[in-house]
Amino acid sequence: MNTLHRRHFLRGLGAMVALPLMESLARATARAGLNSAVPLATTASGAPLRTAFLYFPNGAIPQVWWPTGEGKDFHLSKTLMPLEKHRSMIQVMGGLENKPAEAGPDGGGDHARGNGTFLTGVRLKKSATDIKAGISIDQALAQHYGHLTRFPSLELTCDATPKTGGCDSGYSCVYQFNISWSSSTTPKSAESNPRRVFERLFGIGKPGERSSNLALRQQQEKSIIDFVLEDARAMHGRLDSHDRHKLDQYLEGIREIETRIQQAERFGKVKDPIVETPNGIATAYAEHVQQMFDLLTLAFQTDSTRIATLLLAHDGSNRSFDQIGISEGHHDLTHHMNRKEWIDKVADIDHWYVQQFSRFLDKLQGIQDVDGKSLLHNSMIVYGSGNADGNRHTHSNLPVLLAGVGGGALKPGRYVKRSATPLTNLYLGMAHTLGVSKLARFGDSSKPLSDI
Amino acid sequence: MGRVLEALLSIACRWGAAVVLLAYVATIQAEDNDTLKKYRQSIEPMVEKYCVGCHNAESKKGGIVLEGDDLALLMKNQELWSKSLKMVRAELMPPRGKKRPNVEEKKQLEEWIKFSALGIDPQNIDPGRVTLHRLNRTEYRNTIRDLVGVEFNTTEEFPADDSGHGFDNISDVLTMSPLLLEKYVTAAKTIVQQAVPIQPLVPAEKRIAGRQFIVGEAKPGGSAEGPLNLSYYKAVIARHTAKPTTAGTYQLVYDISAHESYVEGQFDYNKCKVILKADGIALLTQEFVRQGGKNYRWEFDLPWQPGEHELTIELEPLTPQEKQVRSLNLRINSITLRGPLERQHWVRPANYVTWFKQGIPTEARERRIYLTKLLREFAVKAYRRPVDDATVERLVQLAEVIGSKPGQTMEAGVAQAVTVILASPRFLYREEFSVPESTEKYPLLDEHSLASRLSYFLWSSMPDAELLRLASDRQLRMNLSAQIKRLLADKRSNELVRNFSGQWLQIRAIDNANVNAFAVLSKDEVPDPQAQAKRTRFRELNRKPAESLTVAEKKELDEARASFGAGFRRFSQFELNGELRRALRLESEMHFEYLLKNNRSLLELLDCDYAFLNEKLAKQYGIEGVKGDQMRKVTLPHGSPRGGILTQGAILIVTSNPDRTSPVKRGLYLLENILGTPTPPAPPDITTLEEAAALVKGKPPTLRESLQLHRADAKCASCHNRMDPLGLAFENFNALGRWRDKELNQPIEAGGELVTGEVFKNVQELKKILVTHRRMDYYHCVTEKLFIYALGRSLEYGDQQTIDQIVARLEADQGSIQTLITGIIESPAFQRRRQQTASVIPLPASRN
Repeated sequence: MNTLHRRHFLRGLGAMVALPLMESLARATARAGLNSAVPLATTASGAPLRTAFLYFPNGAIPQVWWPTGEGKDFHLSKTLMPLEKHRSMIQVMGGLENKPAEAGPDGGGDHARGNGTFLTGVRLKKSATDIKAGISIDQALAQHYGHLTRFPSLELTCDATPKTGGCDSGYSCVYQFNISWSSSTTPKSAESNPRRVFERLFGIGKPGERSSNLALRQQQEKSIIDFVLEDARAMHGRLDSHDRHKLDQYLEGIREIETRIQQAERFGKVKDPIVETPNGIATAYAEHVQQMFDLLTLAFQTDSTRIATLLLAHDGSNRSFDQIGISEGHHDLTHHMNRKEWIDKVADIDHWYVQQFSRFLDKLQGIQDVDGKSLLHNSMIVYGSGNADGNRHTHSNLPVLLAGVGGGALKPGRYVKRSATPLTNLYLGMAHTLGVSKLARFGDSSKPLSDI
Repeated sequence: MGRVLEALLSIACRWGAAVVLLAYVATIQAEDNDTLKKYRQSIEPMVEKYCVGCHNAESKKGGIVLEGDDLALLMKNQELWSKSLKMVRAELMPPRGKKRPNVEEKKQLEEWIKFSALGIDPQNIDPGRVTLHRLNRTEYRNTIRDLVGVEFNTTEEFPADDSGHGFDNISDVLTMSPLLLEKYVTAAKTIVQQAVPIQPLVPAEKRIAGRQFIVGEAKPGGSAEGPLNLSYYKAVIARHTAKPTTAGTYQLVYDISAHESYVEGQFDYNKCKVILKADGIALLTQEFVRQGGKNYRWEFDLPWQPGEHELTIELEPLTPQEKQVRSLNLRINSITLRGPLERQHWVRPANYVTWFKQGIPTEARERRIYLTKLLREFAVKAYRRPVDDATVERLVQLAEVIGSKPGQTMEAGVAQAVTVILASPRFLYREEFSVPESTEKYPLLDEHSLASRLSYFLWSSMPDAELLRLASDRQLRMNLSAQIKRLLADKRSNELVRNFSGQWLQIRAIDNANVNAFAVLSKDEVPDPQAQAKRTRFRELNRKPAESLTVAEKKELDEARASFGAGFRRFSQFELNGELRRALRLESEMHFEYLLKNNRSLLELLDCDYAFLNEKLAKQYGIEGVKGDQMRKVTLPHGSPRGGILTQGAILIVTSNPDRTSPVKRGLYLLENILGTPTPPAPPDITTLEEAAALVKGKPPTLRESLQLHRADAKCASCHNRMDPLGLAFENFNALGRWRDKELNQPIEAGGELVTGEVFKNVQELKKILVTHRRMDYYHCVTEKLFIYALGRSLEYGDQQTIDQIVARLEADQGSIQTLITGIIESPAFQRRRQQTASVIPLPASRN
């Protein structure tokens, strides 16, 4: 057995699953075409158009993040240097800001806010228990075209153990550990265990056994749903409105399982990717990150979903990076008081995250999609943080990259400097590229960003 | 309010809404007027005398104004009054040096705040609102263990629960997401698979744990239940002798996994060969490389005669020593011996009798009675209360439908019924009920709901048979104190220790605390600029892409890496490894447990002359004469700075940064968790500690010096004056919790003065102050924390009186921990429910 196989469990996968993808694609395209003039989440060539939002924590040291030059004529800076080989596939987005993350009357808590507003673009209610944010862009998109794939969306995180105890300055930990929200009160919990992600997507067991395991499981689930719905209904009648709201979360979950079973029946048998099921969470952070990127790649490649989010680490993360000689915590270092040594260390960490991201782009670039283009070509990947300068907790000119060509719709290979523009304008622009033209506004957006 | 409103609404039907509305508004105004009148009479003079000097409309000190034209509006500001009460009690306001109210005045103020401003009716205390509670990970795990006897690893299987107010059992934040529900459904199936046998007869099965294999001559140490780890790098033969008594076909099922520690960017091409043999004949020969936790399962069928059969596992390394860079391990989890496989030898599966007694009758009517009884009993336990006939009927039908399918057994039908129960909201949530006949404004909880509150508070688990029986007989409330004693004496109350003290005191955080021993310990030494320069250079080189490094740079990088290795190894004996973390956590937990089980005073948690140590921990603390791994109670030498939670390693570490101590975090810890008077979060745009420190020229400042400079900024001073002296008192303990006399070669000064005026020379004296002068602050704080934990809800303003009453009992009983627990359980908040609004509002359209 190849010794590298474990880390790169997807290697050589392209050839194996390309064919089945073609079939499901034809169906999905046909379905999407029924309801709208512009096919949803589909490229001009008919391939699936995937979107992912990746979050890295604590902002980035601005002076070494931003390229020099402008437009097509730009030079990557130190931090972004690992992306040099993907230069023609990325856009560096200058001038994006997230006003709702600013302190306003709410005082401290920029990490909770940076994190919780990143994909929602709304102000968060400052409370440890009474949670209110807004639907996140990935979920808003999923509402429009999540039905095209077996999974409306996929939520991943590399934070295996979200913090307990008081979180940032009186904000509930929920804000700081979730970027994806299905409604203003319901964070969409993300999965951190690679094995579980894989089993959810393709079923448990050895290659070859998974699809029948998945089918059996869905059959059992049907009888469970019938029973518990009856229990829930009776209980609903006994509760007051406040508690009913709690139980509604349960009912929503039940509905989702139901929908998934129906969805599965519509899509037929799941194609089993003939690869080993990945192990649990790797002890080394770098490996865990790459496991998650592998899964994202696999989910996109098999067209299991077209929308995903990945929280690389929550904002405020105080992880130390011994593997690159940094023993202090990331967050502690970001409050560097302009000490060169500390700034350099933070820049090293920023650089490390960009390296990880670059490896993900390698993976996407290396896989051929149904239309002969690369997966990266047929994707829109946002990589960014909800804090700009981690030292000063600013939320304007956020470090945000957009990778991929959107199936030909995007104009990558540029560094675009804009005057202050809501981050949500980018999301709106992406939504329109995806054919979701009904979404007229999102969060604090003013208008869709057109030149992307 | 509820009853007033109801009465008013019923009048409304007769007299028309307008009159009622007027009457209602009038009532409210009357209440307000009363508050205002009392305020004018007795409180306003006091406020003018002691407070408005600073909190007036011009100076607005701290953003607080206690005067103005709209007094009525001021009266309604419950948050303000509740905070004021806290500040006055803690002697933080009026500040030291200013005139302060005397005892009588203070009492008057307290009463006005509680009974007027906060509107508490002492005769009829509002129990507050407990939201529908989803079992959290811990409660789910324990409930499953007590219900079906399966150890289900929820930490691995479920996402972490959100927490509020520092606890993960707060109903309002225990949300349900579709992902989690999916996991509950999967968990139900997995658990039932393990718990409920679905075949009446199966081949006999015997599990041989890895540890039951003998390597060389001696048996490996440790539990005979655990796995056996074999290194890739060492040739061994492990043996076990099976002794079947019956002739037949036996199946051997090997469960083996391969593990390694990962080193980024380094590959290990090591190999080893493994040969599995039975009676000297090879069953399997396989080579292993890096497999990263991969699991293997092999099955072999063997015809065996009665007598001894030797099983061996041989491992042969295949790599030369110099290439052994990682730690690779083959883990023999277990070998299951199943057989004889011939049907005539089959037996009842494990657990069969527990679930099915003699077995399920085949005759339809008898079977129905049997299933009804079995499923009702189970549902009552799982739902923790009586279950209606309709539900039982549905369960029985489900079992029969599934069990009658071709190829299925009736046992499998029962298993499916059990599965659906475990996925039901009635299992996953704790629904609460009032006593049915109550007409009170705040009715009592019914006894089953009370049983659940008790067991989830003290055990983090479901009520046991005795609690359920008492609840059914309506005897629980009558026997409450005996039951509290019984529950606390039961070993399940260790969950209260782990979950409450683990979260309140943040002991849990030690498991994931990130401390760099090298960075911490080198601070306690003389700084070495040369070493620092080397490190900077290392990072610089490391940042460069490998292909762009010159030969010389590559060499330099390798050398630097090697020399750091040596440096790290020097400190590695102090590294916070798994063994030490465990000892640290146990030390703090055992202290709380000792107080709980022996009903000691909560003051001993802060100050005492004993500690819970084993040899390793005692060494960390520099205490002689403790030998062995066993943690035990040790009397400390006279004058020892240890003794009490605050100087235990776990707390000292979790309140530190990864590379240094943080007096600010330590001070804040005390304010938040011991004194109950947390400071507000730091305002934006402040000079940071290190910015202030940068002003010191010539030499690196000590933390104390940095903090002094920091406090020079008035914006910082008001809070840091409270935090810093507390935190600095612990400076003799480094970020690993080890004692030190110097920092950066300068002696440490731990003495100080609290903002409330108490002076101390060292940490021992500070502890004494906490248990004497500041005792009431501490009692209030711990009462509030345990109250929040017990009810799984936030504190409401209306809880103030209840808290005060419990604190009074606590003071009278010298801080007895069981007095606190009993006080909470007996309080209206725990015993009663706020009336559901839903049952009041709907009225018949006409009632003439």
